[in-house]
Amino acid sequence: MKTSPVKLWRRQDDTIVAIGKTGKILLWTIIRVPAKSFTDQAPYPVVIVKMDNGKKMVGQLVDFENENLVAGQKVEAVLRRLKTEGKEDAIYYHIKFKPI
Amino acid sequence: MKINILGTATTKFGELWDTSPREMAKEAMSNALKASGLKPPQIDALFVGNMLSGILGNQTNLASLVAEELGAEGVPAFRIEGACASGGLAMHNAINSINSGKYKTVLVMGLEKMTDHSQDEITSALSAAGSDEERMSGLTFPGIYALMAKAYMQEYNVSEETLAAVSVKNHYHGSFNPKAQFQSPITIGDVMRSPKVADPLKLLDCSPVSDGASAVVITSDTTIKSKNPVTIIASEVVTDTLALYNRKSFTSLLAVVKASQKAYLDAGIKPTDVDVAEIHDCFSISEAIAVEDLGFSKRGEGAKDIADGKMTLFKGKIITNPSGGLKACGHPVGATGIKQIVEITEHLRGTAGKRQVKGAKIGLTHNVGGSGAVAAIHILKGALS
Repeated sequence: MKTSPVKLWRRQDDTIVAIGKTGKILLWTIIRVPAKSFTDQAPYPVVIVKMDNGKKMVGQLVDFENENLVAGQKVEAVLRRLKTEGKEDAIYYHIKFKPI
Repeated sequence: MKINILGTATTKFGELWDTSPREMAKEAMSNALKASGLKPPQIDALFVGNMLSGILGNQTNLASLVAEELGAEGVPAFRIEGACASGGLAMHNAINSINSGKYKTVLVMGLEKMTDHSQDEITSALSAAGSDEERMSGLTFPGIYALMAKAYMQEYNVSEETLAAVSVKNHYHGSFNPKAQFQSPITIGDVMRSPKVADPLKLLDCSPVSDGASAVVITSDTTIKSKNPVTIIASEVVTDTLALYNRKSFTSLLAVVKASQKAYLDAGIKPTDVDVAEIHDCFSISEAIAVEDLGFSKRGEGAKDIADGKMTLFKGKIITNPSGGLKACGHPVGATGIKQIVEITEHLRGTAGKRQVKGAKIGLTHNVGGSGAVAAIHILKGALS
């Protein structure tokens, strides 16, 4: 389904503050059967991260090697294009995680 | 107020390509009415559990559509939605409407039509029950439960093979159920060799995409006689956070713990008094965690107890998912919560046929929406006790 550009705009504050923050992977999985707007990325890992400030976040893991898929791996929050939108949609950027 | 279950019915669950949602609704309702010895005008209200009619079927006035098929002119009708717990929530609301004194005899049905649509459409539609954060991370429902499976396996040192035993048990049970989507037994090896959906969950750890409808008639009217009444002795609903990722525990669903504790208190029973339970095994891990949350197994021992046969027909003490559960009987999401009530009622009446849990007196249904964002627990008691 189309994501409203207003919704993206409303969410950007939460996204911006997370950029560059670091934490550790708590749990990971690899999504092999994705929802429609993620089909061109599959298979891809998704991780639950415990951030250094104690809060938990969830997001895709990018720029990884298989050995990074382990609980305790240090990661950094980076801004990435989220998914494939329709031609008329706003391009959606969101937090993903990369190993450090 | 004493509320009894009268007639119950369920359609076959599965890929019902030649059957429309209207036809499924009509079949389940007319058979439940027939079994109750009632005519449509004797129904005071209709509650319909359904999740996806808006997203997949482009129909958001479903209660009126189903009322048309019931043929009770002017009957008040309500669609209740709570993801995969829609059926359980419809049941709870129907019971409340009777307890309030507004209605006496109510028909509750659950309905879902899924197989008209493609795999990625269904996956996206089911994701509508999730949180924004988890959806934006690309997580699917199998993905969320896969994270729980990881946590459970890490915390309690449980293998993928032990989890697979849940699916093996439920397929074995499904082999005795003519209404089940899958009626063939499977082996641990079959589960292990099936393609991965979201690591560590494989295809045969996951419940299928299904069509189906189930209906029950409940009443507080003492003038309506039932030869073999089953009484609802507890009905509880509890919610939790929509998202999994920021919960304290990934190996227990708080909504289930709270709802079941309240239900046991209302019913005046202990978990060990339950003879038969229908569990929301949307994934193998779900049943392992559920039997712990419900107090049937100790923490960390649910999957092992199931693998050891402690919940298997003809040998276990508390039999879980005699219908085959969501895994083998099928999971038309809105219908599941009502099918569970239909199944337990059969066992308490002694009419479950080949899969009858012998001497079952008390039964429980466990219906969960999302990744534990809502849980509905019902406890039923047979007249044979």
